[in-house]
Amino acid sequence: MSWRRLGRWLTPVAAVLGVFVLWGLIVRVFHVEPYVVPSPQDALAALVDHWDVLAPLTRVTVQETVIGFAVGALVGFALAVVMSRWSLVQRVVYPVLVGSQAIPIVAVAVPIVLVFGYGLLPKVVITAFIVFFPVVVNVLDGFASVDRDLLNLARIMHGGRTRVLLHIEMPATLTPLFSALKLGATYAVTGAVLGEWAGTKEYGLGNFLLIQQSRLATDTVYATVLLLTAIGVTMFLLVMAAERLATPWRTRSTARRWRRRTAPMRDDVGTGEGGRP
Amino acid sequence: MEGAPKLVADGLSVRFDGTAAIEGVQLRIEAGEFVSIVGPSGCGKSTLFNILSGLLVPSSGRVSIDGEDVTGSTGHVGYMFQKDLLLPWRTVVGNIVLGAALTRGVSDRDEAEARQLAARYGLGGFLDHYPHALSGGMRQRVALMRTLAVHTDVLLLDEPFGALDSQTRLEMQRWLLEVWDELDRTVLFVTHDVDEAVFLADRVLVMSPRPGTIAADIPVPVPRPRDLDTLTSAPFMDVKRQVLGLLYREGGEAA
Repeated sequence: MSWRRLGRWLTPVAAVLGVFVLWGLIVRVFHVEPYVVPSPQDALAALVDHWDVLAPLTRVTVQETVIGFAVGALVGFALAVVMSRWSLVQRVVYPVLVGSQAIPIVAVAVPIVLVFGYGLLPKVVITAFIVFFPVVVNVLDGFASVDRDLLNLARIMHGGRTRVLLHIEMPATLTPLFSALKLGATYAVTGAVLGEWAGTKEYGLGNFLLIQQSRLATDTVYATVLLLTAIGVTMFLLVMAAERLATPWRTRSTARRWRRRTAPMRDDVGTGEGGRP
Repeated sequence: MEGAPKLVADGLSVRFDGTAAIEGVQLRIEAGEFVSIVGPSGCGKSTLFNILSGLLVPSSGRVSIDGEDVTGSTGHVGYMFQKDLLLPWRTVVGNIVLGAALTRGVSDRDEAEARQLAARYGLGGFLDHYPHALSGGMRQRVALMRTLAVHTDVLLLDEPFGALDSQTRLEMQRWLLEVWDELDRTVLFVTHDVDEAVFLADRVLVMSPRPGTIAADIPVPVPRPRDLDTLTSAPFMDVKRQVLGLLYREGGEAA
């Protein structure tokens, strides 16, 4: 790994460490009481102390977050594809979607739990509800960004509708799709926590947070918040990694070896030089 | 000029909202011919190509290829735009086989053929590159290979080198002549550049300003193969003078 690359990896790590240092300094310099804001050391110590309790709660919250995120992304993408195919659907559904996003999710969290019960489902619904909207908007933008002349070219080539969708239109939505997914990855945890607060039979980190808050165990509250943040950041990084894999042309100049299909070359025709420069 | 013509356009007219874009255009293109079309801006060259490719149905008139009526139906000609329209997510080879991908699916043969075409015509080192890694000239080469790989006899090239700098453009013209010479296709080539039109073609068709018609049909009796010396030869200059005269005298406001 070159110094340059190493530097690119270290910068964000240093930035995060910097935030912790600043937090510690503020607490120390202004003599903030630990029950108001604990020091980062206290928060991290609480994280270690309560790990036995926190681990299973984290599993619950991660599950809600990931499933809700996946459902939201899938529903959003499917909806955008349908809306882009039939403009009537788009004209009818779009304003409804915009309206749905104006509903304060906090206000309807409890009604959603009443409808979908106290299990996993309402958390997934709430999280998906937050995640799907930017996906729909961005993917529709992606469809609209396709060059008209490219679609004309496809017509001249006598391209089938499904094949044109698959080879020309869908790939054009990937970049905006991933922008939406990166937003969604960080929002998703909020959905899961809201869902837990609205009522649950199985506790997650959100419930634990409220309990610790009521006990003024601020260090444990901060420990939980750190965990929730870590979930969001991890999701973001995973989406970023997926993006690099799914859109290799944005970061590479040649196709990966395993993507290349090597076809048999006949010797009798021309110079069959298949290598790279 | 023996045998049946490859492409015939008979009395093509198009009206948009009552105004005529082109009026009574007649074309008769022989198999294997290279014909340039020049004309002032807005004379309907693009409209003409849209009709020939089947994208646009003319208000009247018909288009036939090999005697078969193809008016308003697509899939009979290859088309290349000024924009290369390469898909950024497909490699050079992937872009060349686009026609197959959009119609019947890419077979190993398509892929092998694309690799051979590309390697033969100066893209050998870039087969697995994404388009963003290529220069403008290279990208247009890929675009032409994509057009060739569709296996239509007739190619419509709509100012394919219009966006390139003059040096690259000349290089591309010589390259195009080489490809055309070896592959025996019929080419209709729209351009603003009179030098380019004359240098490449067997005939130059000069269009009149709107409504566009074919105002003149000028043969280019310049021997082939043509190269740099052609550009300063007497027969070349002679034809160029004729075309320029027609373009700038007739319309008044010209290209």
